[in-house]
Amino acid sequence: MRRLPRLFFLRAIIVLTFLTFAGWPSRAQSAFQVPPEWNKALDTLAEKIAATARPARTFSLDVRNISSLNAGDVTGLRQTLVEDLTGLGFSMTQKLPGEAQLQLTLSESAEDYVWVAEIRHGEAREVVIVSAVRDLVEKAGARKASLTLQRKLVWEQDERILDFALVPDGNAAGASILVVLQPDKIAFYDHRAEAWHLNREIAIPHARPVQRNVGGRIDPQAGTATLVDGVCAGDFQRPETVTCKSVPSAPGADLAMMQGSIVESDAALASTCSGSPLMLSTGSGDWTVRDFIQAYEDKNQREPIAQPIQFPGPILALWPAEDGKTARVVSRNLQTGAYEASIVSVSCGD
Amino acid sequence: MKLRLCLCLAAISVVLSAAGPLRPARRPRYGGTLRVEIGAIIHSLDPAVAAANPEEAGAKGELDALLYDRRSENGDFVGTAGSGPFRLSAWEAGKSAVFAANEDYREGRPFVDSIEIQMGRSAHDRVLDLELNKADFAQIPAELARQAADRGVRVSASRPNELLALVFLTGRGTTENVRVREAIARSINRAAIVNFILQKEGEPAGGLLPQWSSGTAFLFSTEADARGAKEIWAQVSPSPKLVLGYDSADTLEQSVAERIVVDAKEAGISLVSRAISASEKANAHGGSEGPTPHSEAIHADARLVRLRMPSPLPSVSLAAFIDRLGPLAGINGSPLPKSASPEDVYDSERSIINGGSVVPLVWLPQVYGLSARVRDWKQPAAGEGWPLADVWLDSTTDVH
Repeated sequence: MRRLPRLFFLRAIIVLTFLTFAGWPSRAQSAFQVPPEWNKALDTLAEKIAATARPARTFSLDVRNISSLNAGDVTGLRQTLVEDLTGLGFSMTQKLPGEAQLQLTLSESAEDYVWVAEIRHGEAREVVIVSAVRDLVEKAGARKASLTLQRKLVWEQDERILDFALVPDGNAAGASILVVLQPDKIAFYDHRAEAWHLNREIAIPHARPVQRNVGGRIDPQAGTATLVDGVCAGDFQRPETVTCKSVPSAPGADLAMMQGSIVESDAALASTCSGSPLMLSTGSGDWTVRDFIQAYEDKNQREPIAQPIQFPGPILALWPAEDGKTARVVSRNLQTGAYEASIVSVSCGD
Repeated sequence: MKLRLCLCLAAISVVLSAAGPLRPARRPRYGGTLRVEIGAIIHSLDPAVAAANPEEAGAKGELDALLYDRRSENGDFVGTAGSGPFRLSAWEAGKSAVFAANEDYREGRPFVDSIEIQMGRSAHDRVLDLELNKADFAQIPAELARQAADRGVRVSASRPNELLALVFLTGRGTTENVRVREAIARSINRAAIVNFILQKEGEPAGGLLPQWSSGTAFLFSTEADARGAKEIWAQVSPSPKLVLGYDSADTLEQSVAERIVVDAKEAGISLVSRAISASEKANAHGGSEGPTPHSEAIHADARLVRLRMPSPLPSVSLAAFIDRLGPLAGINGSPLPKSASPEDVYDSERSIINGGSVVPLVWLPQVYGLSARVRDWKQPAAGEGWPLADVWLDSTTDVH
């Protein structure tokens, strides 16, 4: 048998080391930072892989993405998993006969991301799985933005909400009133003992037949709540002054809302982050999917300037609030079926 | 990190006037009659009256969902007929029905004035009537979707949510041997079923849940392995002669069964297909379309079964499938998912697949044909009824 040349092993180690690490992008190369929730899922996955793969200490890693994650997400997730596994005493190598192989598949279910690790060693194959919250869809570009959207849930109920508003309580200084507009009534709630309590509700008479494409909007300053075929008016800071009546539906009324159709909606706010107006926009899904709100500098801009804020169901109404710096959002939670009233605000970091 | 709230107020009214919220792309209109054709023959719309077969049960469920506003926790319709978006205005058992819009429906009156339903229309007649604009809405078998689209019918297909599976019936000595089941399972060419029988309107199935629902379906193989099947079958001695049953009224099941027989034959397996008549099925179901058929009453070693997902959620659908397949395949004892986590659902699914009594074949979408004047149709999610209350008819499109 021919002897191997001198320094063969040294050269081989150098080449293998180069090949092994040339493929891994360094953290500095990737602008992607893994969100804490995903980091936690990756930690769990690494621990499961470690428990399953031992006694192997070295394996090749192949990552494939069959989910809606983008290339930046995939690079960041791979890098983080490699770091986690290295921290647990494992090392990655090129695919070599006899070595264990780790196939990571980034998949997704109807609910969340599903990350599947298949560990193959010879004929043996083990599978470990973790799930990761999909609501945290974040783009590397958006992460750099200094602007942040925040959502505060104000009210939820089983009955449909068309619009809502928070107004000062005219009968109690410093207190607020929550006004909730529904297809068949308008309700006023007082805030006492850190909870909203029903003060008064007023039925809204409708022309027959009941409209299906019902929509409605509250204008607290004008003291009106307008539906396609009804109107309530009065001083909303004094609910006892509010009365409602039926009106003939106006064919051209701009309150029509197509139930279940794909409707994109926008609300314009102002931003001190750039000094220019800010456009909030919903997704374009229908009533069967979760929705989100994105912020854009103007309506024609393609890239959002903040990471989207996720909602557990479709957004049914999006209006700028009277203060010009927040937006009122009505959405439906697909898991609970409840209608939710939220305030979305914008903040920007220094 | 210091944060400060954005406080500027600028140009809101200008932008708002240009981009009003919730602008419909097209305004719906009220009125008109939606012409619906179904293949099933429905004898009674009373939820308390059991359907004679799965086809009737499925169609009846869709129509009752238009008449009843609420369901109980176990999915039964409750309340009074007519509390839903429509009420029954004319009924001829087994032939036709007319539903009128419920003016007082709590979610608002449906857009259409009425729905005319013709029963017992064959799949080919439904496609033809859609093509000739004599129908507005009809469900189309997945295998006819491509043909219908080629003929100009407007077709809407859901994500695949109905599983066609081969089930080895419990209590059969012939299939007690796991090698028999494995040989047949390996011999099946699912890609050929999808490509040739379904005309690519479906997906090969390796697991009990589709990829979009569970996210783990790719872990189950869908590849045919004729050589492996042959080798395993050679180890079976004496080699039994097997019968694969299919629903005599289901042309898709018949085509798939015949294809499976061909695949099995290539692997040297002795398998023949046999139609299961309605009366035989009725006996198996104790005279009605109950949830727990008795496999002993069916004269076959295996049969094809259709399983429609009751929910997009994988844990919910898997539990329902286990419940349905339990008495047929003898998997009553199969563990339900310990939790809704993907890992627990996968473990439960894998345990059933590894048992070999259930062989997933293909995933089918729900396919609907629509006339040109139907607007705002949206595909119902798995487990949801036809959202015909949201549909409206475009008056600018002619009706013949």
